[in-house]
Order: sequence, then structure tokens, then C-alpha cells
Amino acid sequence: MNLFTIGMFATILLVSFGITAWAASRTRTTTDFYAAGKGLTAAQNGFALAGDWCSAAAFLGFTGLTALYGMDGALYAVGPLVAFCTVLLLIAEPLRNTGTYTIGDVIMYRMRQPPALAAAIVGTIVINLAYLIPQMAGGGILIKLLFGFRYDVSVVLVGLGMIIYVAIGGMLATSWVQIVKAVLLLGAGLIILILSLKGVGFDPLVLFASAEAKAGPSFLLPGNLLKNPFDEVSLGLGYMLGLAGLPHVMTRFYTVPDAKTARRSVIWVMFLAGAFFACTTIFGLAAVHYLGPAALRVDNPGGNLTLPLLAQYLGGGKGTAGGDLMLGFVSAVAVATILAVVAGLTLATSGAVANDLYVNLVKKGNVAEHRQVAVARITAVAVGIVATLLGILAEGVNVAVLVILAICIAASANFPVLALSLFWRRFNTGGVIGGMGLGLISSVGLALIGPAYLGPKALWPLVNPTVIALPLGILGAVLGSVIWGRDHENERRFGEVTFRIQTGLRSDHV
Amino acid sequence: MANTVKLMRSDVAAGAWTENVQSVEFKTLIDTKRRSIVPMIVIYVIGYMGLSVLAGFGRGILGIKVLGAVNLGFVLIAGNYVMSWALAVVYARISGKSHDPLVEIVVEKAYARGRLP
Repeated sequence: MNLFTIGMFATILLVSFGITAWAASRTRTTTDFYAAGKGLTAAQNGFALAGDWCSAAAFLGFTGLTALYGMDGALYAVGPLVAFCTVLLLIAEPLRNTGTYTIGDVIMYRMRQPPALAAAIVGTIVINLAYLIPQMAGGGILIKLLFGFRYDVSVVLVGLGMIIYVAIGGMLATSWVQIVKAVLLLGAGLIILILSLKGVGFDPLVLFASAEAKAGPSFLLPGNLLKNPFDEVSLGLGYMLGLAGLPHVMTRFYTVPDAKTARRSVIWVMFLAGAFFACTTIFGLAAVHYLGPAALRVDNPGGNLTLPLLAQYLGGGKGTAGGDLMLGFVSAVAVATILAVVAGLTLATSGAVANDLYVNLVKKGNVAEHRQVAVARITAVAVGIVATLLGILAEGVNVAVLVILAICIAASANFPVLALSLFWRRFNTGGVIGGMGLGLISSVGLALIGPAYLGPKALWPLVNPTVIALPLGILGAVLGSVIWGRDHENERRFGEVTFRIQTGLRSDHV
Repeated sequence: MANTVKLMRSDVAAGAWTENVQSVEFKTLIDTKRRSIVPMIVIYVIGYMGLSVLAGFGRGILGIKVLGAVNLGFVLIAGNYVMSWALAVVYARISGKSHDPLVEIVVEKAYARGRLP
């Protein structure tokens, strides 16, 4: 805890509240609130996507995993980039061409039947909460560590920050908070990269050799973290398809004016976030090289403090001005990261509750525009309070399982339903319910009886159940469609759906 | 921009869509997209899932030293970064040069046919 951290953190808060005030004056319609008026440029949305996707779990977590477990950490880091290939080639443009504010919009656009929308709402809310709770808990722990507040007070502070961003500034504020945070994060990454490589004469091969010499011959092999081979496959499958099912990332494509801009924003995020993820592998190896594997295992649960420790060392070491400066900088960026990511999640959850559940499912779309914005703001406050309470309750609970769960459900339940809605003529409401239901139940069930939650008493061996849950989700979607029977009206409309998906002719109904 | 025009579903009779969807230019668009996107999907699914499967079941293979301490696993990981970035650039180029102009033709013809408001 030092003055520089406080100063840096206060500056970030001031800037972000300034952005919120500016965004508030420009947020009047539902399109403003959920989609920043659909006016972001490709570069802006690309940076905001990078902000969303580089969570604290990514930048602290991947570095720590590489430092503690070698190649498995690098495998964790490369997946999120490859995941964007799926988004770029299959999902981003069709999604931009069909939906308005949420993933639920896409499902409703295709199916036009309330049970399908209800299933999509359940999927979105479960995934977002599973993602939100660990972030809230992580933010609480970090603020507690930095400022010495009690854990529950720290979580409330995180909750308060995100509620202010989202309820007052909507998507415009959330996007710019993400952009600022992404710039800070990439800046911090670049500084640490240069300092890490400077010590070895800018030859990364030295880092590999040194890490192997210090941490043992098996360090650079896979399997140090994910012992079960099927867990490596689950990790790959979960990433490759899960990103395209994460509501808070996908709703970012509604903030741009058209599919071409959506595509270009994916290219931006692939280079920004991809380069950053690649750096986390270097950081992990550098931490082993400079600090030694033994020092990294002291008071460093899950390796999450590896990057702050490395930054402190590179700045000059503990107790030096440079070391404090770097530690403060990285810590402040970490808090900014968590705040920005929870804001994005809160907004996406509010969209599912206010737009999908209240406006489209309960009121069948008959809600006046200004009333929709009011409902969205109130929902954002409510979602924020629920997330804060759950974050407080999560103290001491093993929340790691939730992170795995979120990506597993996204890959096994949301992705099949979304992809089949866009591309399969015979897919129908029964398929949405079957896919969402079986994908969700198998993900949650298998994660809860696995080692991530039960530890050594686990009833089945895999930490990440995607390798089983995904085929089950697809099976549920296909069987559900068949059992539901032919929906001829839906199939007749599929031509129009395809035409709009491919050309971007808009239909602002829903 | 023609393709960002907003319209209500009810403005266009259901039958009109059949004609638009079955038009030669729309079929050309779909075929062109499919021909470029499907091979790219095959490349990254094989490239990335291959790496994941080897990480699980081919640990000895990934451990083969290639360059100093760097083993085949890290080379393939680096390869996945390069592959993803290359696909991004190639897709941006192909979609800008061949998909987008085709979309414009499809939309123009649909309007000319009088099937869109």
C-alpha cells in the first residue's frame, strides 16, 4: 500500500466518473443505453472488447499459471485468441445483422415464441452471474489488500463503482471505461515486457532455458496443472466455442453501426488482446527467471500475485521507489480492470432482465421508449445489488469453479443454440429449450461433482466438463427440435432470416 | 447505405423473400462466403484442437526440444498465435474484396425487383 497507488487509483476513478457524467448526458434512448447509440468505431469497439476480454483472471491469472505450471499457463493464454476466430468467421457479423441489444433478441428474432426467449434469458443470467461473482470476490480481495478495508466493505465499493458506471452512463460509459482500462493495461504490459526482456538481453530463449533450469525439467511440459488429458481437450473446446456464447462480450457487437465495423473490431481485439495474452507467457517465465520458483509459492494463491511481484522486482525491488511505483501501477490497473469487467457484465445482465424478460417476454414489447430506459437503469441498480450481495456471500467459498462453469455453459448451452438459430433451418423452440436445458444442467451438474468444487472427494475426474457437456448440449438442441416437431412457419421464414443475416438488411421488430 | 435501411417485417410479403433468397446473386454470395470461410474454419479447428489433444495425449511429442530449451509445444502455441492473426488478416481482405461487393449487388437487385420498400 503506497501513496502512488492511491494517487493512481484516485485518478482512474476521477476519469471514469468524468466519462460517466459525459455519457449520462448522451444517453436518452434504449439504443443509447444498451448499445452506445450504435456509434462506436471499429478501433473503439476493438479496444473495448480487449477491455472486456482481458479480465483480471486473464492478466493476473495467465501470468500466475505460467509461473507455477509452465506450459499449461501458456495453453490457457492462447485459447482466448483462437476463440475470436470462431467469433470472426461465424458469429460477429450475423449477430450484428439480426439482434438489437441482446443474444435473446437473436433467438426471439428467429423463433418468435416466448419459451425460446425464456430459455435464452436463463442461459444469459446464469452465465453472467457465474462470471460476475468471482470477479466481485476478486475485486473485494484486491481492494482489501490494497487499502486495508474489510472484505465486505471492499466488495460494496466495487459494486457501487459498477452501478454508477452502468445505471448512469449505460453502454457509452461502460465502453469508454473499458477503452481507458485497455489502454492502461496494454501500457502496463508493454513496460513490463520491455523490462523483463531487458534483463536477458532481449533474448526470450534465455527465459525458457532459465525457467527450465530453475523449476525442473517437466516445467515446460503440458500436464502440470491439468493432470487429466481430457481436461486439456475440455479447455480447448470451451475456449474455441465458449467465447461466442458469452453475452457480455457478444453484446459489444451491437455498439457499432454495421457488420463491416463489427468485423473490423474483431480484427482489432485479436491483435490487441492476442499480443497481451502472448506477453503473459513471457511474464510467467520471467517471474520464474527473476524471482525463482520457491519465492512464487509463498502467499500467492493460484499465482495471482505473480505479476504484481514481478513488476515490483523489475521496478527495483521491494522497498525501493521504483518497485513501489511499479507495484502501485499494476495494482491500480488490476482494480480498474475488475471494475470495468463487472460493469460490462452488469450491463449485459440488465439487458437480459429489462429488455428480454420485462419488455419482450412480459410486456410483449408494449413499453414506451422512455419507460424502457428507466426500467433498464433500475434493473442495472438491482442487478448490481444482487451481484454485490452474492460477492459478499462468496467470501471463503471456492469460486474458481464458477469461472470454469461460465465458459463451459457458454460453450455447451449458449453457443449451440446461437449457432443453430443462425444457420439451421429446422431448428425450433424445442431445440432452444433442449439445447439450453441439457447444456446447462450437464455443465452445472458435472462441475459441481468434479474436483474444482469437491476437491479430492470428487465424484468424477474432470475439472472442466466441456468435453461431455458440449456434445450433450448439441444433442439436446437436435433432439429438442425433432421432438418439438416441424415448425413450418419458422422454416418458411428461415429464408428471410438467412437473407438478413447475410446482407444486414435490418428488421427492428422484436 | 442501402443495407442499413430499417424496415418492418410486415412491409414485405412472405413470398417476396423466396424470390430474393432464390436469386442467382444471393446464391453466389452464399457460395462465395462458404468457399472462403469453411477452409479457414477447418484450418483453425485442426490447428487449435490438434494442439489441445496433443497437450492431453501427446505430452512426449510436445516435449521434443526444438530450439534450445523451447520444445515443440511452445512452437505450436506460437504457431496458433500466428495462425489466428493470419486468418484475421486474410478474412478481412477476402470479405472486403469479395463478400462486401456481392452483398451490395444482392441488396441492389432486391430493391430493383421491387421486393423491398
